[in-house]
Amino acid sequence: MKKKKVSCKNVMKHICESLCEDLNDERCVEIKNHLESCANCKQYFRSVEITIDCYRKYNVQMPGEVHGRLMKILGLD
Amino acid sequence: MEERQLIEKAQAGDKKALNELVKKYEQTIYNFAFKICRDKNFAEQIMQETFYSMIKSLHQFDHNSKLSTWLYRIVSNHCIMLARKLKSRSFVSIDDDENLFEEKYTADWNSIPYKDAENEELKTILDNAIQKLSPEYRIVFLLRDVEGLSTEETSQITELSIPAVKSRLHRARAYLRKEINEAFIR
Repeated sequence: MKKKKVSCKNVMKHICESLCEDLNDERCVEIKNHLESCANCKQYFRSVEITIDCYRKYNVQMPGEVHGRLMKILGLD
Repeated sequence: MEERQLIEKAQAGDKKALNELVKKYEQTIYNFAFKICRDKNFAEQIMQETFYSMIKSLHQFDHNSKLSTWLYRIVSNHCIMLARKLKSRSFVSIDDDENLFEEKYTADWNSIPYKDAENEELKTILDNAIQKLSPEYRIVFLLRDVEGLSTEETSQITELSIPAVKSRLHRARAYLRKEINEAFIR
């Protein structure tokens, strides 16, 4: 029997679920093959990666006075 | 000094060891609290409450998990408590993920200044997008994708089952990606 072709929408869902990290998973291999030939899904995959990367890089530095207040409140100054 | 020794000394009432532990984790906790509530004053308040709780219950810490995992649990709980107290914001419902995968939206992601972490326009878009998610979704996304914790650790911290962590994670990823995509459609 011919295997049913995976749809782009399912590929997008799968990308968000696993980012195709599990290479032992048959579904991940199938998705990776789909990405090779589908520019739209490939772009979607990249956009999910960029989304995560943006939030990873967005950090705030704790100001010195915040440290001082924390130590004072905790009685550790 | 190894962290285990430091914790044991702090548990025995050694102030210097306690001081070291607070110093070691304050930046991580402040940053995490900020990423959940997107407000520097709330981040400071949550960080103070987190370390206050840590000191109060440090004697119960049994080394079965990493101290950082234990702290992530405390800070996450304080973030959720604060959000419930404020109750002023309403969040989007993404329990049904059918609308998250609209293929018609296609921004040019090459034009998104994602390599520039200090880009103010991007920061505003990231803040706006994540603030629409409920803190329960934000916490899972941030623990797994931003802090790099495993699904198992995230499940332990949030007290959610592994399938529930996975489900929240994939919806949060899809939602945030969709929001950024829409913001950059010119």
